[in-house]
Amino acid sequence: MTKHLSIGCALLAATALTLPAQAQTPQNTMVMAWNLDAISNFDPAQIGEVVTNELITNICDSLVALDMENESEVVPWLAESWEVSDDNMSITFNMRTDAVHPSGNPVTAHDLVWSMTRVLELGFGNAAMLTSYGFTVENAIESFVALDDHTFQLNLSDPFPISIIMQAVVSGRVGHVLDSVYLKDKEVDGDWANDYLTTNTACVGPYHLRQWSAGEVVVLEANDNWWGDGPATPRWIIRHVPEAGSQRLMLEQGEIDIARSLGAEDIISMQDNPNVVPASTLNHQIFHMSFQTGREPFDNDLVRHAFRYMFDYDALADTVMAFQGIPRHTVVPYGAFAALDREEGAPFYLDLDKARELLEEAGITEGFTASLYIAPGPFAPEVAQHLQANAAELGITINIEQMASAQLFSALRGREFDLTLSSWQTNIAHAHGMLERHATNPDNDFDSQLAMYPSWRKSWYRPDFNERVRAALFETDEERQLEMYRQLQLDHMEQAAGAYLFQQYNNAVLRSNVEDWKWHAFRVFYREAHKN
Amino acid sequence: MTEHPITDAPPTRESLRDWLNAPVAKSPGQARAQSIWRAAKRLGGNYAAMAGLFILIVLVGAAAFAPWLAPYGPFEQDLNRRLLPPSADHWFGTDQLGRDIYSRVLHGASITLRIALLAAAIAGPIGLLVGATAGYLGGWVDTVAMRVVDVFLAFPALILALAFVAALGAGINNAVIAIALASWPPIARLARAETLSVRKSDYIAAARLTGAGPLRIIVRHIMPICIPSVVIRVTLNMAGIILTAAGLGFLGLGAQPPMPEWGAMLATGREFMLTHWWLATMPGIAILTVSLAFNLLGDGLRDALDPRHG
Amino acid sequence: MADASNLARPSLTGRRWYRRSVATARILLTVAITMLGLITLTFFIGRVLPFDPVVAILGDDSSREAYDRVYRQLGLDRPLYEQFFTYMRDVLSFDFGRSLSSGRPVIDDITRVFPATVELALLSIFFGVAIGVPLGVAAAARQGSWIDQLIRVFALIGFSAPNFWLGLVGLAVFFAGLGWVGGPGRLSTFYQFDIEIRTGLILIDSALMQRWDIFQDAVSRLVLPVGILAYGAMAFIARMTRSFMLEQLSQEYIIAARAKGVSRTAVIWVHAFPNIAVQLVTVIALAFGFLLEGAVLTETVFAWPGLGRYMTTALLRGDMNAVLGCVIVIGLIFITLNLLCDLFYRSFDPRTR
Repeated sequence: MTKHLSIGCALLAATALTLPAQAQTPQNTMVMAWNLDAISNFDPAQIGEVVTNELITNICDSLVALDMENESEVVPWLAESWEVSDDNMSITFNMRTDAVHPSGNPVTAHDLVWSMTRVLELGFGNAAMLTSYGFTVENAIESFVALDDHTFQLNLSDPFPISIIMQAVVSGRVGHVLDSVYLKDKEVDGDWANDYLTTNTACVGPYHLRQWSAGEVVVLEANDNWWGDGPATPRWIIRHVPEAGSQRLMLEQGEIDIARSLGAEDIISMQDNPNVVPASTLNHQIFHMSFQTGREPFDNDLVRHAFRYMFDYDALADTVMAFQGIPRHTVVPYGAFAALDREEGAPFYLDLDKARELLEEAGITEGFTASLYIAPGPFAPEVAQHLQANAAELGITINIEQMASAQLFSALRGREFDLTLSSWQTNIAHAHGMLERHATNPDNDFDSQLAMYPSWRKSWYRPDFNERVRAALFETDEERQLEMYRQLQLDHMEQAAGAYLFQQYNNAVLRSNVEDWKWHAFRVFYREAHKN
Repeated sequence: MTEHPITDAPPTRESLRDWLNAPVAKSPGQARAQSIWRAAKRLGGNYAAMAGLFILIVLVGAAAFAPWLAPYGPFEQDLNRRLLPPSADHWFGTDQLGRDIYSRVLHGASITLRIALLAAAIAGPIGLLVGATAGYLGGWVDTVAMRVVDVFLAFPALILALAFVAALGAGINNAVIAIALASWPPIARLARAETLSVRKSDYIAAARLTGAGPLRIIVRHIMPICIPSVVIRVTLNMAGIILTAAGLGFLGLGAQPPMPEWGAMLATGREFMLTHWWLATMPGIAILTVSLAFNLLGDGLRDALDPRHG
Repeated sequence: MADASNLARPSLTGRRWYRRSVATARILLTVAITMLGLITLTFFIGRVLPFDPVVAILGDDSSREAYDRVYRQLGLDRPLYEQFFTYMRDVLSFDFGRSLSSGRPVIDDITRVFPATVELALLSIFFGVAIGVPLGVAAAARQGSWIDQLIRVFALIGFSAPNFWLGLVGLAVFFAGLGWVGGPGRLSTFYQFDIEIRTGLILIDSALMQRWDIFQDAVSRLVLPVGILAYGAMAFIARMTRSFMLEQLSQEYIIAARAKGVSRTAVIWVHAFPNIAVQLVTVIALAFGFLLEGAVLTETVFAWPGLGRYMTTALLRGDMNAVLGCVIVIGLIFITLNLLCDLFYRSFDPRTR
């Protein structure tokens, strides 16, 4: 046995020590490390989180696309052109005729009708992207019309601004064109092929999903039948590497080309490394604290407002939130249409005396205890502890409770929390995107279960805001509209059921030979990136 | 005991050593005291075990006097002094919120101690009672109890603890309960084995003849016999308990922020492993040291109390 | 049980056979009851967790209609006992349902991730035994000497170190600092598509393909996690070996053999060792079981796509089907190992024969 042992040891030592110093990734393959735990599904109607959203937008083309350089500009894509009717109640899209699904079926307007109808019928979170603009299961037949194989007509129920419809509806996840002919065969018990699409994709786009091994890897491969020019890098391997430290090591060793989940300190410490380049883009994602206004004392506007003076935004931005976000206290992200500027959009600062005054004004003279739920993540625990320490000076005891995200979701949906820290992302570069979810609440009844509205989760119901948000949207005079949005944001900032804290960055660190890494707040364009 | 009131009286100071070293014990009390004395002497000669005991005493001291020993408060944040390397001001450096890690590690000692002792205090008696009862009564009680033990043993311990913590809510007390629930079965098994080896003995038969009921026999006669091996086992388990608690903290479901629990500190520190090594290293070494101390002591205790098993 | 009545005929061999099959049936019944208990426990743990399975599937923002639909699909509207029996029936036919995290049947996921864990565990137990047994014997042979103390402390450190911490430190030092070993994960991306999965054990698969470059890459990535897990297993095995050996060495036959002039080495390896071998097998099986379930945190640190990480991720996501499936599979293996040891013990140990 001892002899075997020594041979085994020698063999192991020999192979380990002769390891090539640098493991290079293949030239035709882009290797990216990311935390892929959130992926659970590839059905565009169901996808609701950042990672799969990024993947699916590189797999499925939508009717129109967002410009690569400008996140608020819509450009022709599967629709080569479109006309808006004179009454602004209908848009007619002329679709390209050379697009073919991987199955060989042509891409048609009927596919789109089917794809959009199923979003409504399935009723996942994404359905709200349609119902928010007046589309319902009942009016779907009149709203989504295939005039012929390659002409699609979208009929509106209200004169919504066309620019918003173009961004929110036909360029996003609900505008992905699925292969309806192929998928109808895959339906089980009228599930609109939801089951099949959990692990498969069936749509036209620059890449197709070659492999998804949960907790391991996602592989995308160029779609040879795609109508556009083939992607610059034919294969993308996205490896699940949950540890930031591991990602950094792999990046430095050249084992991956792109790292997506690095922390601030890792990025800072790699600044002198000539082999890597950091990249970041401001997301339309706001990190915020939610208050349950159905519970005392958070039903009081003044109490909630006091909390806004309990964060040292600048100090956090320089330390814990470095490379992670910038202070942002209005719910509307910087970069969106009608958003407050950097200064006006972040007026609050750490001032415990002011917070104390506000609390006293609210009639709170004694301390109280509240629990703060957070999901384990890169900076939420630090921000939570920062608040905890500041609140403690005012006699407020905050008990932090970390929980799995599944558990946090249940608490949010059941309105069973005092305080939570979380992020919310919108899909359009327009003030309405955030305000519609955070400042309006169509029905505050618990039974309505409108969990897609953060305002509903926080039991925050203000009929005047409902009206003002709608009025601002329909205002046709742009100057007046801008003023309405400005006033809305200023009022919302003080009364909202959330304390909005930071607008988040999307970070990546690339090997320096990676070129044309194109991205903005809503899209990452895999098809452009390549290595030299 | 009442038969020998005189010899059993507390011995005077001078004669204590003689009383303990007397070649023939004159009373059960003296016999018991003598065996403990002999075990203590054996234990005292075991340097490794003494080192373990010493570390544990230091730990208890640190836990008790942390507020006076620690140069800073464990929750005192200062974003201007974050991530400082170890220095004269901050012996172990500072963490990502500018808290002094040395102070936090000191305060963390009491948390670790509390987890280990509470979990042991729950798991030990439960295991002992179940094991002794099953072993003594036999029959269907034994069958049922042992099947339950099997089920718990077959369940991965960390997952069982995780599930309980998720069900009860994250936090240190729930972590203790979860860990205790996951660690009583091996003790029960051990206690049962011990019981089986003594239940046929004359000593137990004699007790039964005097009319003692099963409960009395289990509690008064069987459980004391099992106690030495259970104590050894529990001491050795302490290390496992500390590691499980740290694992729970590592996964975010143990002690909640801002508690300076070592496992949770380690979990936070791993983010900074490559840039600021001291965040994860200091609590890591603390965990290693304490769990090593429990193991050394447990090992020594086994040698001293239970020479049969070397 | 049904064929037991056939065997009731009174012939000598028949009676012996009958006794034996009754004993076997009893053991099997015990195993069955334990499994049943395990399934019951997992079911109820699944019920008390504060995860809403519907929310876990749909995310936090679905409509009321979608929620109600999935609620019914999962059968949550039916009475608890009915759900329990459905669950029991499915599990007994090895249908653990579908995983929320992968959208695939749990059993498929388990067969996919299990080999990664087995590869780790097998190698770790191999080195744990190869190093642990000689160390344990050496310590026992020189009880009380400095070698004994050294081995003891060395083993105790293996027992005491949090292995997730060792993993982090190991990666920082040997991968990042020195570049001696491979990084996290089982294989470099470079080889991701070159390997043809047959057994799922990459070392064997690459050897079968004669791709020694892949083999080398896999080895370089196995060194650290295997080293760390093997250290723990070694510590356990060395300690147990030492105790068993000490017990043997104090037996009279050993003393007699020594008195007859048999050399020390011969006494240890020829006389004493065979007698502890049977006990050792039990210990090794136990250590192997712990490795299978105990690699949870090590797998997290090394991004190892194995059962432990699959199970932890599933639990944190509220993917109860996956968790319960894993628990039952691990439980089954654990119970089987125990059973095998038991049988082995019965048939080989001179005292129980």
